[in-house]
Amino acid sequence: MSNLSSIYIHVPFCTKICSYCDFCKVLYDEKWLRKYLTSLEKEINLRYKSNKIKTIYIGGGTPSCFDNAFFEQLLKIVATFNKGKDIEYTIEFNPEDINENKIKLLKKYGVNRISIGIQTFNKTLLAILNRNSDYEDIKKKIKLLKDNNINNINIDLMYAISNQCLSDLKDDLEKIISLDIRHISTYSLILEKGTVLYNKKMPLISEETDAKMYNTIVNFLKTHGFCHYEISNFAKKGYESKHNLTYWNNNEYYGFGPGASGYINNVRYTNTRNLNKYFNGNYFFDKEILTKKDVMNYEIILGLRKIKGINVKDFYAKYKVNIFDEYNIEPLIKDKSLIFEKDNIYINPDKLYIMNEILIKLI
Amino acid sequence: MDKSHIRNFSIIAHIDHGKSTLADRILETSASFPKRLIKKQTLDSMDLEQERGITIKLNAVKLDYKYNGEDYILNLIDTPGHVDFSYEVSRSLAACEGAILIVDASQGIEAQTLANLYLAMEHDLTIIPVINKIDLPNADIPKVKKELIKTLGFKEEEIILVSGKTGEGVKELLDEVVVRIKPPLADDNKPLKALIFDSYFDSYRGVVLLVKVVEGKIKIKDKIKMMAKGSVFEVTEVGVNQLDNTPIPVLSSGMVGYVCAAIKDISKVSVGDTITLENNSAKEPIKGYKPMKPMVFSGIFPTEANKYDELKDAMEKLKLNDASLTIEPEVSTALGFGFRTGFLGLLHMDVILTRLEREFNLNTIATSPSVIYKVYLTNGTMEEIDSPNKMPDKSHINYIEEPYIYTNIIAPNEYIGPIMELCQDKRGIYKTTEYIDETRVNIHYEIPLGEIVYDFYDRLKSSTKGYASFDYEISQYNKSDLVKMDILLNGEIVDALSVIVHKDFAYSKGRVITEKLRKLIPRQMFQVPIQASIGSKVIARETIPAMRKNVLAKCYGGDVSRKRKLLEKQKEGKKRMKMVGSVEVPQEAFLAVLSSEE
Repeated sequence: MSNLSSIYIHVPFCTKICSYCDFCKVLYDEKWLRKYLTSLEKEINLRYKSNKIKTIYIGGGTPSCFDNAFFEQLLKIVATFNKGKDIEYTIEFNPEDINENKIKLLKKYGVNRISIGIQTFNKTLLAILNRNSDYEDIKKKIKLLKDNNINNINIDLMYAISNQCLSDLKDDLEKIISLDIRHISTYSLILEKGTVLYNKKMPLISEETDAKMYNTIVNFLKTHGFCHYEISNFAKKGYESKHNLTYWNNNEYYGFGPGASGYINNVRYTNTRNLNKYFNGNYFFDKEILTKKDVMNYEIILGLRKIKGINVKDFYAKYKVNIFDEYNIEPLIKDKSLIFEKDNIYINPDKLYIMNEILIKLI
Repeated sequence: MDKSHIRNFSIIAHIDHGKSTLADRILETSASFPKRLIKKQTLDSMDLEQERGITIKLNAVKLDYKYNGEDYILNLIDTPGHVDFSYEVSRSLAACEGAILIVDASQGIEAQTLANLYLAMEHDLTIIPVINKIDLPNADIPKVKKELIKTLGFKEEEIILVSGKTGEGVKELLDEVVVRIKPPLADDNKPLKALIFDSYFDSYRGVVLLVKVVEGKIKIKDKIKMMAKGSVFEVTEVGVNQLDNTPIPVLSSGMVGYVCAAIKDISKVSVGDTITLENNSAKEPIKGYKPMKPMVFSGIFPTEANKYDELKDAMEKLKLNDASLTIEPEVSTALGFGFRTGFLGLLHMDVILTRLEREFNLNTIATSPSVIYKVYLTNGTMEEIDSPNKMPDKSHINYIEEPYIYTNIIAPNEYIGPIMELCQDKRGIYKTTEYIDETRVNIHYEIPLGEIVYDFYDRLKSSTKGYASFDYEISQYNKSDLVKMDILLNGEIVDALSVIVHKDFAYSKGRVITEKLRKLIPRQMFQVPIQASIGSKVIARETIPAMRKNVLAKCYGGDVSRKRKLLEKQKEGKKRMKMVGSVEVPQEAFLAVLSSEE
């Protein structure tokens, strides 16, 4: 049942390191960048089996921080994939990197979706995160994209940042809405080990406020015409991220680049985060060979992230197993943790934010 | 061997005053054992004993010793050092004619020094006072000597200075054992009388009895009778303990050794009982026997319900070796099937729980310990209650009595204040204070045993920076205004959390317990009220707010393996929880009621 038609490429370079980030990244360095591009190309040639590709996502790190020559080199490598007609091709951008020249390159190589890391417009909170962004500047940058007919734009919004209050969040939401974009990804700040914020022992906000913020976001965006389609993702109709749905539909995908994860032939793998190893062609770090049960468990964990949940007929078609026989779902329907409606099983919206409690009863 | 060349003696001491180390040195000095065979602290053979430096089960060793060119047999009978086992101490002392009383040169007299000394005096033993650890830099020999002379009434010339560590003075000590301690009164021609001072279970030979033959003889094929229990057995082996059991043809009066008689069930014999011959019985048993009575009771339940059979098996195995342990099945609505278990005291309980975990690999939940209450009913009868859940309805109760203890609390006098405050807090009744010397006191209180089983010992240690030592004897039952306090989780009574408390202390205890539970029980998917109630009256309330967030962060870069591992970890954590009604309660919450400190 190979449905391998998505690609994630990880770019491990940034010009500035955010205080909360635990992804694989180093400060921008041209010497390493060259090695990276050489190694990436080799990795792709080694693994890619010329499948027809429906989604590409270049993330990081900060792919947009490359200077134009390197940026084009990266896009050229990606250009070798066998692209489908309706491909969704996304690159992550920092607002300050959006300019005429880069946009020309985007158009030339068929990039049709941009994900902008904004996180917040609040200057105090930005200082905590060690980031920059300016509302007026972003407004101009987004206009520039739209003038060039790049309309499929996502914005990343972060919340539950230490010291943030509900009115700060509302302010961010108002500004984001005014930008008239198609997709919003949200996430509540987590202090991951090894990050600057973790080491500083930054206090987190209370569980209550965090949950209140989440509800505020959901209600606000819904009233402004966004569809809440995954636990932390919102889109205007027809603009749901096809790439991210690959993950949530438990479909296979390639992962290239240091620290990237992929899922091919029942194996979930993660590449090494060690750049030297990566440059030397030792790509793999870890792999998990999945049994059928594992695959089904992932289907549950990921599928229930979607607001619509899991379609029981699709589940049967995929695994030839009745989901009700395989998983102890009825008691969870009875206690209103899950809702079963029109062939779909989904998490009770009231309990979305505590869905782990439900998941661990299932797997 | 001439009976006049036998010496039977024990070593008594406060915990950590170096009893086991000195015993090792004695074994070496007596030249009975090649040095390489002496494992550190030979007498403490259970791992747990060696690790904690406490002696739980008794042992006896036969030593060969030369004094003035003549051969002597020295039987060293070990005693447990802890108050929980004072009956066992008493029985082993009954097998001796003398005792070495050890006092640490840096610590001086402590509570168990006194308790053990009094026991030895009850048995009319010759006591040799010894100051140990004289090699320590902070040893204060003159001060400790003064304590021994002033408080305990020894003469200066009686006191022997030793170091168990370096061996200094040990030879002199053994010489004095021969000189000062009387040989046993012995008469081989009288009917057999042998005192059982310990027993253990051996899977090949059955129960092994450690005995002192007081009168008469015992040999293989003898038909023996337990005078208190009435059971009869045929002797299969007798012998003495050197490093191992060494069989000999006959044990005669004055000797200390072991007896095997194919006894399958340890409950058929009893420490303190007298062995005689079935056909030629002694008229009177050796005096002082009493059946061992557990003082502290707790419900022990397997954490996982399907481990009940394993727990049952383990408990039965432990019981084979430990006649003082009582078990009976108990059913709790909160915890399922388990056992109401009786212990001699809290240390005994702790030892059993640790052994269940280590030797049997069983995770258990122990409910808060209870003592035996005497409940006088309105119909004129009395019931003994060992569990809050067996408490009859209030309307049937006339009054309740609870056991009290009489304390020896020895500490530097600057801690009198905090100690009295603690005892007061534990419903203690002040008796007297004695000065051991200018700086140290022995404080006597009567305190309900039910208060001691909570956190008394820990709080005593912390409020005196560890300087206080504590010992007690059971005094009597007194009338108390006691009530049963229930704890409700989400509106349902959790039987395993019920406690019996004094009415005047119920409110504060209720507050402390509910607050502790709020901190220990993690948030659930719904709000959980915790209430403490007496009858239908709620006296304290706390609320665990509903869980508001437990969700996997955004799956960046498609790394979902990591998220799955996180879920697995959460799931694993749930296994250590017990479902009580609809609430998941961690194991440690069941002991929250134990500690009353805020």
